[in-house]
Amino acid sequence: MAFLEINNVSKKFGATEAVSDFNLHVEKGELVSFLGPSGCGKTTTLRMVAGFESPTSGRIVMNGEDITEMPPNQRDVGMVFQSYALFPNMTVADNIGFGLKVMKKSPDEIKQRVKEMLDLINMPEYTHRYPYQLSGGQQQRVALARALALRPDVLLLDEPLSALDAKIRVSLRAEIRSIQQKLGITAIYVTHDQEEALSLSDRVVVMNKGQMEQVGTPFEIYNFPTTTFVANFVGTLNAAEAEVLDPAKGLISVDGVQFISADDDLKTKRKGDKVRMSIRPERFSFASEGKKANVVDCAIENITFLGSVVRIQVRIGETNFNMDTFNNPFLELPKIGDRTQVTCSQNAVLILEE
Amino acid sequence: MSNIFGKSLTSWAFRRSQEAKPKNGIRGRLNIWAWFILLIGIVYFFLPLIATFEFSLRMVKDRYTFEAYRVAFTDPKFFLNFGYSVLWALLTIFFSTLLVVPTAYWVHWKLPKARPFVEFVTLMPFVVPAVVLTFGLIRLYGRPPIVLLGSPILLIAGYIVLSLPYMFRAVDTGLRAIDVRTLTEAALSLGAGWGTILTQVIFPNLRVAILSGVFLTFAIVMGEFTFASLLAWPAFGPYMEEIGSMRAYTPQALSVVSFLLTWASIGLLQWIGRGRGQEQVAGAH
Repeated sequence: MAFLEINNVSKKFGATEAVSDFNLHVEKGELVSFLGPSGCGKTTTLRMVAGFESPTSGRIVMNGEDITEMPPNQRDVGMVFQSYALFPNMTVADNIGFGLKVMKKSPDEIKQRVKEMLDLINMPEYTHRYPYQLSGGQQQRVALARALALRPDVLLLDEPLSALDAKIRVSLRAEIRSIQQKLGITAIYVTHDQEEALSLSDRVVVMNKGQMEQVGTPFEIYNFPTTTFVANFVGTLNAAEAEVLDPAKGLISVDGVQFISADDDLKTKRKGDKVRMSIRPERFSFASEGKKANVVDCAIENITFLGSVVRIQVRIGETNFNMDTFNNPFLELPKIGDRTQVTCSQNAVLILEE
Repeated sequence: MSNIFGKSLTSWAFRRSQEAKPKNGIRGRLNIWAWFILLIGIVYFFLPLIATFEFSLRMVKDRYTFEAYRVAFTDPKFFLNFGYSVLWALLTIFFSTLLVVPTAYWVHWKLPKARPFVEFVTLMPFVVPAVVLTFGLIRLYGRPPIVLLGSPILLIAGYIVLSLPYMFRAVDTGLRAIDVRTLTEAALSLGAGWGTILTQVIFPNLRVAILSGVFLTFAIVMGEFTFASLLAWPAFGPYMEEIGSMRAYTPQALSVVSFLLTWASIGLLQWIGRGRGQEQVAGAH
């Protein structure tokens, strides 16, 4: 039995179904991210685990106990909010010790735990500061310490880094992951930032329109997206309509240009079927860099310098594809309008579900 | 510097100085108008007070004395009525806060759609005159099944209704300035119950807003006449009216004294409720 089970959970707001038949089992110590665009139901699902929303149907079981109808203040969960939600009238120490005070712990125990938590977030000297005296990143670290002070069974993080600037986001997400692993706490992390989800999580749940699109490790989600939505949402995607020429050999045609795909899904198709194929930009390379199965003629349409990566837009048949190549000072790039050949491996050609 | 940057910088500085001149002129004129309007406000507010004070000193013919004040302060009914009014004001503030803060909080947290309705209800004293309201209360609670006419409950209830528009708006503005939902959810996730949330999270963050409502309530109750008079309870308003009908100078002295005492009481409340300014994110505007 998993530590946290979300079984067939649905949530309706009037006629709108915000979450539909959500199923997820989270193991103890695992960090699972809910990733998706605004309005996909990820926060609603998190709020149902926290107890702030009641599921219309389905059950939530934590540590063997059904908590579906349990009030939020009786669940053993800690929550970190996007807007920090520190109590403005309390010092850092009072904020961290709030939950312990509610639980009527002794002043000595509260003091000791607050000190532990401040050490954990590397802010031991901020005990007597008020939230308004802290930066956004510091406030969020205090909010994390406050949520962890009660040693909850599950830690819920609702877009905790969204309000912070890019550099702080990167450093703080590493800190959150490190603390989560150090404490071995089970965590659910809601985000719309794919990089955040991929870099932090043991598993990622990609959601769209209230439904789970795909669940898998960051590696699986990025490299083997099973739906067009996931492929589009996570990373940059080249996608095109293709016609199946020979399912057994994995042969497909895009505007008359042939590709070979190693995707097993193709074997279930018949000759003449229309499918949607995709290739990640970084899976393409110039044919001269090494002979691969799929070598196709193309024309250079555009070249964009993105810092560490150079994105080259090539036209294959009638379809434009992006190709990413690492930047280096000695890189010899073709010119716009040049005709050349690009290649990709067979397993780079994926067949997507609609 | 005579390079292109130097030239463009010079022309930029010239344009700025040309633009700045009329702006400074406008700002200067605005400042004069602001001071003029402030002066009118001060004159409008203080002139009647000064005139009242001046008149109160004329009790003895052809010279200024504090005789009217001596007469007022030697009347034991003055302190009795003033004391009663302070008592009514404090009771009204206590119960009004207990009623309004949780209601406004609940409306913000759970029933945001009901806010216009609640706001409309709080406007009742502006729509229904105090006399009508008092007679309504007397008719409803002056006979069985619920008889409250002999107790000050009706008076306090009436005062609470009178103070509702001010108290509710002050608290409502304070609640809008804090993220009620998230703070409540944060406290809930930390195991807090409603009592803890209200007393340790919501009330402290609404202190400035609540104090604003408290001051207004205090001032209203201290000068109120209709409710106290018709419900026959001792209060400062009816006492002032009674003195006014018998004497010429003492009521003026009492008016000045009541102003000073009310200000002093408000100052005292503010002193009691003082605190670190920056942590208070909420306040009545």
